[in-house]
Amino acid sequence: MRVILAEDSTLLREGLVRLLLEEGHEVLDAVGDGDALVAVVRAAAAAGTLPDVVCVDVRMPPTHTDEGLRAALTIRETWPDVGVLVLSQYVEKSYAGELITSGEERIGYLLKDRVMRVEEFLDALDRVGSGGVALDPEVVRQLLSRTTHTDPLEKLTTREREVLAAMAEGHNNSGIADRLFISPSAVEKHANSIFDKLGLSHSPGYNRRIRAVVTYLTT
Amino acid sequence: MRQRSGLVRRGAAALAGLTVGALLAPFELLLVAFGALTLVAVRATPRARTRAERFVHRCARQLSAVEVWRLDRFHRIRDLGPYDDRAAYTYLLRRWPIGGLGALVVLLLLYGLVVAGTMVSAWLFDGSWGYIESADRVSTATIAVAAIPGALLLYINVMGLAGVVDLDAKLARRHLTPSVEEALTRRISELTVSRAEVVEVVNEERRRIERDLHDGLQQRLVALGLLLSRARRSRDPSVAGDLIRQAHEESELALADLRDVAWRVYPTALDQLGLQEVLAALTERSSIPVRLHYDLPARPPAGVETAAYFVISEALTNAVKHSRAKQIEVTLTPTTTTGAGDRPERSALGPAAGVRVTVTDDGKGGADVTGRGLTGLAGRVVANDGRLTISSPSGGPTTIQAEFPCE
Repeated sequence: MRVILAEDSTLLREGLVRLLLEEGHEVLDAVGDGDALVAVVRAAAAAGTLPDVVCVDVRMPPTHTDEGLRAALTIRETWPDVGVLVLSQYVEKSYAGELITSGEERIGYLLKDRVMRVEEFLDALDRVGSGGVALDPEVVRQLLSRTTHTDPLEKLTTREREVLAAMAEGHNNSGIADRLFISPSAVEKHANSIFDKLGLSHSPGYNRRIRAVVTYLTT
Repeated sequence: MRQRSGLVRRGAAALAGLTVGALLAPFELLLVAFGALTLVAVRATPRARTRAERFVHRCARQLSAVEVWRLDRFHRIRDLGPYDDRAAYTYLLRRWPIGGLGALVVLLLLYGLVVAGTMVSAWLFDGSWGYIESADRVSTATIAVAAIPGALLLYINVMGLAGVVDLDAKLARRHLTPSVEEALTRRISELTVSRAEVVEVVNEERRRIERDLHDGLQQRLVALGLLLSRARRSRDPSVAGDLIRQAHEESELALADLRDVAWRVYPTALDQLGLQEVLAALTERSSIPVRLHYDLPARPPAGVETAAYFVISEALTNAVKHSRAKQIEVTLTPTTTTGAGDRPERSALGPAAGVRVTVTDDGKGGADVTGRGLTGLAGRVVANDGRLTISSPSGGPTTIQAEFPCE
């Protein structure tokens, strides 16, 4: 996969580049701030070699607040085919929400610490790069524990919620079945029931999943 | 002997003060009369009235300022505080009779001295004395007889002088210093401001610590985890060994980072070693050469030590970042007065000793006083009831001076 990295800590940037190369990915560029990221993606677009996914740190110079996220949103707007995997120091629900509502595919939001678990990080990168979604389990857990969940989700059973949470993390049906120790057909059933309850029964397949997740995360 | 000359000097000063006060009295009377007349004259037109009032008050303020200077210069009355225009006017309204009384007493003294002087000179030089018409010669007997009532009169006169000075001081204190209530109100508003600043400083600190942890230490730990992860996945043992060696180095660096952050949170060495040692270590670590002059006879209280440490540390950081200086001087000296302004409740206790911290660099100057670094500094100083002055003309040098009271 073609990847562009944006991470201000030289140390981590180098480590990630090495890792991706070891895993056989192609690293087009690695930069240290948001503006530079947008610039290199623009250059790549001009050269006709758009990356499959950009992996971007939220806090970068100059202000160390949300430059990375701004850059990510800009990229989503300008080049919707590019997957965006955002790395955050801690769960920042509003960022996650903003990102998720910015589009319905090719999005990932991971806690930075997740990078240490290389398998999970690479898995998320793959999912986002191939058009899926990857949300950090921690983000999902925190959003789950939110008590302000309003009407549409209150109709869901506990099991359905679990299935939806797993969906939100970006797992496909068989992955969900493995996690919850139920059969894939049971997952299918739960999923359909969820779509019904959220009034999404008439949307086409994958999109419907994402819609459900968006509803779930933004209510 | 010295005491005597002191007494003479004080007496002379008091006399001069009274004389100046007496000379001021007519002006005060004029102003008061003018004020009363104009206010009566423009009673009907409110706009003219406020204008006239404002003018009279402004004059009153200036005259009062002269009075304050006089009381300070000749009578050593230094505790006159801020006052408003109305208070100044009321003061002058009551002050001019005292000025007149002063004039009377001074003139009496002069008259007495002239009489005594001419009498004595007539007695010494056998001259005639114009004040007594019956006898044109002053004999020893005349002197002897006149000396007793003369001395008594002189004594009463001197008492009168002292009394007028006293009245003068009392009146000024009554009208030209804030009442206890006003002083308390002022102090409370001062404290409210400084409390807000303290809170701001603490929050700023916390933000900085959070940044230090996230942008430094966390990145290192993640990188460390990444190295170990890669080592685990590597199929080539020699590569894996190399990665583990790197990870080990990384863990040491992370530890050093942690130590640095902890030190920035609070230099614990302050408690054990004291300010002087810690400053020595701090100045050694600076990238611009620092000369440290530490002249404090005893260790200041812990709060002052901490505040002084942070002021110096932040001033050095600012200087290294912006000043392009070649040399920095850090000086700590004891002071004998409180750092902050006039505090009625403290003037009763006499001046408290304090610490003055000065950081000077020979850099390009032009420091932004409203910048975050310097406002943070000011907040720290105010939090400790101190006072901060910054002078940084373009072209340098930059001098940051903080004074902390120790109580």
